[in-house]
Amino acid sequence: MNRSTLRARGARILMSAGLAFAAIGPATAPVAAADPLVLNAGTDQDLQVLNPFSSVVVADFEAFTLNYDTLVGWGQDLEPVPGFAESWAQDGNTWTFKIRSGMKWSDGQPATAEDAAYSIQLVLDATAKSDASADGYYLGQGYLEAYITNAGVTAVSVPDPETLVVTTEFENQLILEAYLPILPKHVWSKYSLDEIASATGATPYTNEPPVVGTGPYQAVEWKPGEFIRFARNPNYWGLQGAADEVIIHHFSSPDTMVAALKTGEIDYVRGVLADQFDALKNEPGIETVEGVSNGYSQIAFNTKGNTDGYKGSTSALTDPAFRVALAWAIDQNKLVDATLGGYGEPGTTIIPPFHTRWHVEPDASIARTFDIDKANTLLDAAGYKKDGQGRRLDKEGNPIVLRVTWPDSEAQHSTDAEFIQGWWGKLGVGVDAYVTEEGKLIEDVTPPPGGPANFDVEIWGWVGDPDPTSLLDFLRTDQIGGSSDSFYSNPEYDQLFLDQRAESDPVTRKADIAQMQQLVYRDAPYIILYYDSELHAYRTDKFTNWTIQPSVGGTPLFGYGPRGYTFLQAISAATPAPAASPDAGSTPTPSASGSGSSSSGDITPVIIGGVIIVVIVGGVLLLRRRGSVSDEE
Amino acid sequence: MGGRFLGRKAASAAITILAIILVNFLLFRLMPGSPERIILRGVPNVTEQQRVALRERWGLNDPIFPDQFVKYLGATATGDLGYSFVARGQTVAAVIGQRIGPTLLLFGLGEILAILIGLALGAYSGWKRGTAVDYVGNGISLVLYSTPYFLLGMALLLVFSTGLRWFPTFGMLTAGRIYASPLDLLADLAFHLTLPLLTVSLGLVGQYSILMRSSIVETLSEDYVTTARAMGLQDGRVLTGHALPNALLPTVSLVAINLGYVIAGAITVEVVFNWPGLGTLAVEALTARDYPVLQGVFLLLSISVVLANLLADVVYGFLDPRVRT
Amino acid sequence: MTTAAIVIPRRRPWTGAIELLGQLVLRPAGLVGLAILLVLTALSIAPSFFVGPIQTAVTATGPRLSPPSIDFLLGTDQLGRSMLNLTVHGTRISMVIGLIATVITVLIGAVIGIVSGYVGGRLDAVLMRITDFFLVLPTFVLALILTPIIRDLVGNATAEVFGIRMTLIVIIVVIGITSWASTARIIRSQTLSIRERAFVDRARVIGAGGGHIMRRHVLPNVINLIVANAVLTFAGAVLTETTLSFVGLGDPFQPSWGQLLEAARAVGAPGLGAWWYFVPPGVGIVLVVLAFTLVGSALDDLLNPRRRRAP
Repeated sequence: MNRSTLRARGARILMSAGLAFAAIGPATAPVAAADPLVLNAGTDQDLQVLNPFSSVVVADFEAFTLNYDTLVGWGQDLEPVPGFAESWAQDGNTWTFKIRSGMKWSDGQPATAEDAAYSIQLVLDATAKSDASADGYYLGQGYLEAYITNAGVTAVSVPDPETLVVTTEFENQLILEAYLPILPKHVWSKYSLDEIASATGATPYTNEPPVVGTGPYQAVEWKPGEFIRFARNPNYWGLQGAADEVIIHHFSSPDTMVAALKTGEIDYVRGVLADQFDALKNEPGIETVEGVSNGYSQIAFNTKGNTDGYKGSTSALTDPAFRVALAWAIDQNKLVDATLGGYGEPGTTIIPPFHTRWHVEPDASIARTFDIDKANTLLDAAGYKKDGQGRRLDKEGNPIVLRVTWPDSEAQHSTDAEFIQGWWGKLGVGVDAYVTEEGKLIEDVTPPPGGPANFDVEIWGWVGDPDPTSLLDFLRTDQIGGSSDSFYSNPEYDQLFLDQRAESDPVTRKADIAQMQQLVYRDAPYIILYYDSELHAYRTDKFTNWTIQPSVGGTPLFGYGPRGYTFLQAISAATPAPAASPDAGSTPTPSASGSGSSSSGDITPVIIGGVIIVVIVGGVLLLRRRGSVSDEE
Repeated sequence: MGGRFLGRKAASAAITILAIILVNFLLFRLMPGSPERIILRGVPNVTEQQRVALRERWGLNDPIFPDQFVKYLGATATGDLGYSFVARGQTVAAVIGQRIGPTLLLFGLGEILAILIGLALGAYSGWKRGTAVDYVGNGISLVLYSTPYFLLGMALLLVFSTGLRWFPTFGMLTAGRIYASPLDLLADLAFHLTLPLLTVSLGLVGQYSILMRSSIVETLSEDYVTTARAMGLQDGRVLTGHALPNALLPTVSLVAINLGYVIAGAITVEVVFNWPGLGTLAVEALTARDYPVLQGVFLLLSISVVLANLLADVVYGFLDPRVRT
Repeated sequence: MTTAAIVIPRRRPWTGAIELLGQLVLRPAGLVGLAILLVLTALSIAPSFFVGPIQTAVTATGPRLSPPSIDFLLGTDQLGRSMLNLTVHGTRISMVIGLIATVITVLIGAVIGIVSGYVGGRLDAVLMRITDFFLVLPTFVLALILTPIIRDLVGNATAEVFGIRMTLIVIIVVIGITSWASTARIIRSQTLSIRERAFVDRARVIGAGGGHIMRRHVLPNVINLIVANAVLTFAGAVLTETTLSFVGLGDPFQPSWGQLLEAARAVGAPGLGAWWYFVPPGVGIVLVVLAFTLVGSALDDLLNPRRRRAP
């Protein structure tokens, strides 16, 4: 899944509260013993959109994978499994997908190959329009198109309602990895490409609930900033999970979120902090899951330095030997401990170990450790001399002072920067460390002619897909002016990218990808600081059969596709007593109707009206009284 | 009351509102990062052409004055505040609209409670000036006044929610609940409202009590109160019949003036309790740099404060002819 | 805004100040407030004398989030830094922020108040219109928007002024320019009454210019009021900085109390029971605001027993 935004990993956490005193009694049991059985999940990210084409953050992706199927799904270990298509076959540049017969959308309409063709065609149309016109056309936020483009898809056809034929430009397997939801043609075709595509203006199609899809749960109610509620899709073709409803809550405070998990108000949390995670390990009735992140945090150098109109502060930035020397002076183990509280791994190459099939460690000849002396020796050898005050000089004879910055959305990097300031200081390399507002930073790292490339070193991160393609993309020459924030340019690397994309033999592809990882490690446009862990936790008193995906280093929910939700089973025998809440009097209705009639806002205006009247009447009475008193005098 | 007085006050409020709208416009143009960059944030593979196209679509290539300004005035006047950067496809008006109710509820009730408690506490302290009661009452007021709202909120959440588990930790209503009757809904609302409401009230009580106390102390030194006492009027009657009403007027009018200061605290209380109001929205918008929403919140809050002040002025002038000069 | 007579026309400022201090100490509120302030001032003048140089991620020696012990009297934060060290150094940062913001606030407020009150006429009307605008504006919301904008305008965030990083300076300036209005109002009404006094008339008759009169006659007579007001402004400035830091607009490299609370929140300290992380800065904030409020209202009482104002 392309979550490879500039680490939309979570709105900065906003607030905190709630101390669980040591003396608290056993956790009160969760509410809602009666129908419907609700799975309450919490995340630090707020859902932003329901239109999959505008999806950016993980919460957006999670919502659309509950609503929709992808053409092919991801299995236990991210292998291709039936999704919207039941089976498939490849013959050179032609793929034939067999669509499940008798499948229905959640509104009862038949779901056929026409829908799949429509969804892919939407992307092809947008791409064609973009190529034909100079007005920069793209679908929504433009994340989903890359899957179809990278797979080299040129055409789709529907010989019969149960068969979809996809033609590609070159022989490859990437169509199986396409994170593209199959949308109901009978709903979406009412809207023009412009309406679906618009991320920014005009009258965008927002896909308001109730959503129609083939996924296991359908969005029925959305309160932006608060929660999104999904109801079971009775027409779902796959396994039916135990939960009748799934509610994903947004928390701006990780402390409140974990407190809600402890009290049983929610059953699952994503985005637990390191120290909270340690504490939760000892909490009875709660399981913790440390997942391996499919991503990393990196130091990106402005590798164009002060050349070509780029606004780096020194030419030394263009020298791989200089960058490698600085990399020797970073104690990554220390950063993992201090910044991540130990929940992560020191980083090496640009494909994280999550990709067990693709990740390689650096060759022994170029592998680095933490060694300040070695770093000093390397700098001396590369011709960076010290002046009388012990400051390193660049080739032009100016003292090197690097500006190190990071986005305010990732406040934790201030710790990294503080350490780096200390270590590089021992090399005679000065560090100016400061946080930059995210929008400003994006502008700063934009290269000429569109921007100034006004930075030296940036600390940020990326998150990848089940397939490594997107993580390899950012360092291509073609991406300078696009998603490249290091301006790394290496023809060998660029060629390898195209080779691996068109390679059907996994062994050869792995060799290409391995070589790409070595190249980047050797030239150090990026120093991968660490692979941070995904920290999740869940309660064991309401649902069972939590299944992690992938089997090693995975998490039960917020993975790839809706599998985790469908495997859940209820613990019905041990129905807990209701907690101290007035919920007892409520009479929830069956949810499959998906009516979304929970009337949260109904009474509020009345109350507000009442409040206002009381204030006015009260005020007037009080003041009147005063008036009459002074009259008497 | 004189039409001139009312007219002058209204004109002054109108000028202030215009100034706010102007400031809002200027701030938007000064924003860090050019607007189209922020709009395109997170979009991979963005090309120079796309940026140019977007500038065109948003009218950012027009001259700032008069084209952009006139367009802005027209849009603002019709309640069109643009689109949220973050909640893509939603208008700022829609995003803000959903959040007004919860904030009004929490702070309307909070103000009422704080005024009632604060005025009573202040009046009593003032009446018993110099006694132990006064020291304790005034001391509590001072400490409450000195404590940031979010600290109060964190403490209450810690004790009553995660500690004793008497109250829920977040939100305004239980998500997804279907209520059998309005009473059920009210009960659920009250359950969620208790702690945030308590925080807001406690945060406000301090300043109202301090104000009321000094008002009372001052009033008690007035000749007519001394006279009333000398004439043998019972202390209780003097307090309720003379001192209190006279001390109330300035205090109550200060409530409106203080509204602007209350908002800062309000924002943090909402965030502590995940209360789905304007404060949480403002901080979320700030974090995500959702400038259109932030500007919308600013506009709404500023204009409300101006109007509240106007109302206070008018009521004050209506009741106390001396200020109508 | 009612106006009251100020008792002391033209005096040598020192005798006045000492006399005032003497009267202040006689009041319990003033005494308590002054005592707290004395301690906090001592801490902020020489924090390194009490707890050594400020600890950074690199120089930290303690374990992660450990409770108070003999080695770390107030425990440690998530980087192993001593909370005692951070809180004491935080005193300095918070006090400096309060001080500079107050100076800016009072300077703007006093100049506008005196000029507006003395000159009167159209200038007065215009200045008071502007003042009204800032008076009703929810300053915190304005500060929320202004902070990132000004930070961008001043550019490179690593420049320093008086050893304070630019990011903090920006916060200080924002507080300053958003909170001077009430000061200006109060000073103006005082100036209005002084303008009508005989000694000002006399000065005018002997041909003194407006600037001279404002400096030599009006200013000395409102200076006490300015001081009383400054003290109260200080408390407000510390609170505003705390709140701004708390919503993430502070500078992580300069641990003011607000920044410490924000850091505690960011690691989830309250939920972890790590009370030693947020109680010391929290108590610090309450103490400093309380002290300034006590002194401020005591002063206010002394100088101006009949005037009521919002605390």
